[in-house]
Amino acid sequence: MYGGDEVSAIVVDLGSHTCKAGYAGEDAPKAVFPSVVGAVDGVEAMDVDADSAKNNSNSEDSKTNESDKEKGKRKLYVGSQALNYRRDHMEILSPIKDGIVSDWDLVDNIWEHAFRGCLMIDPKEHPMLLAEPPLNTQQQREKAAELMFEKYKVPALFMAKNPVLTSFATGRATSLVVDCGGGSTTISPVHEGYVLQKAVVSAPIGGEFLTDCLLKSLESKGITIRPRYSFKRKEVRPGEFQVEDVGVPDTTESYKLFCQRMIVGDIKDSICRVPDTPYDDKSYANIPTTSYELPDGQTLEIGADRFKIPDVMFNPSIVQTIPGMEKYGDMIPTVRGLPHMVMESINKCDVDIRRELYSSILLAGGTSSMQQLKERLEKDLIEESPHSARVKVLASGNTTERRFSVWIGGSILASLGSFQQMWFSKSEYEEHGASYIQRKCP
Amino acid sequence: MGGTDAKDILGLPKTPLSLSHEKKSRPQKESHRKPDGISREVYALTGGVAPLMPSIDVTHLKRRPPPDEKVAWQWLPIKSSARKDDLQLYHWVRVVNGVPPTADYSFAKYNKSVDILKYTDDEYENHLTDPVWTKEETDQLFELCERFDLRFTVIADRFPLPRTVEELKDRYYSVTRALLRARAQSPADVANHPLMKEPYDITRDRERKRALSMVLSQSRHQEKKDAEILAEAKRITEMRLAARRAADLDVSGNENVGLDKADGGPGCSVSPSSNSQLPATAVAPSTLTMADYASTLASLRMLHVYLRTYGLEQMVQAASSAVGLRTIKRVEQTLQDLGVNLKPKVPTKTVCDEHLELRKEILTLLNLQKQLQYKESEGSSHREGTYAAMPDTPKDRVFASEPFSFGGISAERPIKKEPKRKGPGRQADTPSPAHKRPRKLKASDL
Repeated sequence: MYGGDEVSAIVVDLGSHTCKAGYAGEDAPKAVFPSVVGAVDGVEAMDVDADSAKNNSNSEDSKTNESDKEKGKRKLYVGSQALNYRRDHMEILSPIKDGIVSDWDLVDNIWEHAFRGCLMIDPKEHPMLLAEPPLNTQQQREKAAELMFEKYKVPALFMAKNPVLTSFATGRATSLVVDCGGGSTTISPVHEGYVLQKAVVSAPIGGEFLTDCLLKSLESKGITIRPRYSFKRKEVRPGEFQVEDVGVPDTTESYKLFCQRMIVGDIKDSICRVPDTPYDDKSYANIPTTSYELPDGQTLEIGADRFKIPDVMFNPSIVQTIPGMEKYGDMIPTVRGLPHMVMESINKCDVDIRRELYSSILLAGGTSSMQQLKERLEKDLIEESPHSARVKVLASGNTTERRFSVWIGGSILASLGSFQQMWFSKSEYEEHGASYIQRKCP
Repeated sequence: MGGTDAKDILGLPKTPLSLSHEKKSRPQKESHRKPDGISREVYALTGGVAPLMPSIDVTHLKRRPPPDEKVAWQWLPIKSSARKDDLQLYHWVRVVNGVPPTADYSFAKYNKSVDILKYTDDEYENHLTDPVWTKEETDQLFELCERFDLRFTVIADRFPLPRTVEELKDRYYSVTRALLRARAQSPADVANHPLMKEPYDITRDRERKRALSMVLSQSRHQEKKDAEILAEAKRITEMRLAARRAADLDVSGNENVGLDKADGGPGCSVSPSSNSQLPATAVAPSTLTMADYASTLASLRMLHVYLRTYGLEQMVQAASSAVGLRTIKRVEQTLQDLGVNLKPKVPTKTVCDEHLELRKEILTLLNLQKQLQYKESEGSSHREGTYAAMPDTPKDRVFASEPFSFGGISAERPIKKEPKRKGPGRQADTPSPAHKRPRKLKASDL
């Protein structure tokens, strides 16, 4: 290969919705699973009466003692297979809040599952490339480096920012990356391989937010989404099914929500489209509806919602019209639509590079595979942007590539010959400490 | 075969003779031997003809390694000069005869960095202090420059204090220049260094960026509106111009033509307005001059912004396009004799207008004089009969009695006739060839 020299590195991208892991040099990650953990608290499951006694003693016991006990009894389930099986009292916990890691224990479990469960490797033998969000703090990076070196004893580590990897995946060193991910949408300019941190713009509207909007909208219309575990279908007559509810009282709310979100997410992926013009109720009132069959046999007719939900990205104030989403009402006025965020980000950059950024806008992330998103964004940007700048929005035609563009960029980077001199090795870690990562991984 | 069957079906006569001809005269088909190294089918893909410029040497394609070499692939550690620590990474290496290659890692040569001058504290004290920049800031700047290989956009982004890219560049380049000068043995040594030859100019950079940001900040809406306004304005002026032109051509030369100030489009200057009073006895040339005027004015208006002297020149040219070169010279001579500069020294609006008027009056005067001359010659020819062909000195005397110093003008008159100037106003000039001889006499007389 011309520029490549594989050293069997592993690339791990922990996103807010899914975790992707695999070997560098390949074109898709081998391990893709939701980045949430199902936690069954051993205390609750065992003895309900002892709870009250425990609660009384908790206030007097030291914090560490109590948490030790809890942690010791807590069982964590990671991976789509484990999560799809309903367990009593299983809470769904996400380690990532607002784009940054809040619970390192969960992250540890996720990594463990990825390495030993899915990829079946020994981390001691493989250099590790981690993808991190562009606005990651120094503290977070040091913690990640510490965890990797101390627990997993990797020989070498590198932490690269997500937008840089996306940019490399398309073969560019300078571009504006619009990452529409599960948890948030982040727009970051990349110049010659470095993220311009002062110009990064982020909004909490992501794929999961849109799924929630759709869920609330459907519920307000009286449609209940039954999670898969909660019913059984019995064949009454050949071809005809009857649905029976299965009583599962011990299932937690979070698990129920998790399952409902899976179903509604599928509806969103298959049916929703971005409208060509900004959404308003009147013009879309008579749109023909599309039907979707739910797992329990119900058939949904979705009409205006098809276009309303994706338009939230371009016009966040629509959220207020969706009943049930009022709690986000106070956050919405500060959030602007996608084209405005792009302009904001570009205008924060130095004048010299603006033209180049306009002509290479990259779309990445799972939510960016929504139909017509690229065309709508291009149209809106051409209207708002100056005449002398040529606006070009690029997106890979393949939806898999868009979803995994960060991982693919990492795969490319870690298998380049000239990258091998940039790893942050274990001996450097021991010599200089975790803070050296700031110098090594700019 | 099929061909003959088809002919049979259609009832066409077969042509056995021509067939045999074909057989005989069929040219020797070249034997296309397939070249070695690629299979027959692949070769056929190219159309059976070898490419003009073979891209791969064909012998490479089926080359097998020489039999005495034994090649194996081994998972060996990388020896790279680019890494300073002892990190052991492994990669697949092509091993020949059990001897691993000993060369340095092939990608180590790409580990390049920019040479940044480092200064000591003494040097800083002596040469590099600056009111705006502290030593810590300068140190930080240099460290970032080294880390990011002088990519100033990224450095500005990571710099802890809010400084613009131009300021950082300015500080870096001035420090490096001062260091070079300080360390050099003599000024001549460093004179050829690129930094010394083209110093960084912060004001120019700032200006350039300001202009660029102005260009880039106009949104498309605004530009569309601007373009619409301009198109609208253009249409209005065109309409006005067309109306005016129609009005001018209809009317005879007896009126005041007042051309108002043009107010076409934003940002244009005012074209000189000329209120020319045409004398009552003006004949054909005047109306045509008016038409020329109108067209000149139109062309000037198209420009929107132009120098007044340039405009004046255009007007003068327009006015004098209908007359001959000789006349122009006479006008100019008259002006000089009057003490008026050919081009006004202070070309304000009023001055230009007056100048034009003066020129026009002189032109009219000359025209009238020519007319007079012509009539007189006619009259004299009638009186004197045979002397019609020789218009003589009496006329010159008539001319000489004119208060205007015509003598001077005639002396200046060029001998050659301008053949190209055959404008419609030519009839006024036709007597002039007849005046050539007397003019010459006149000059010699005086």
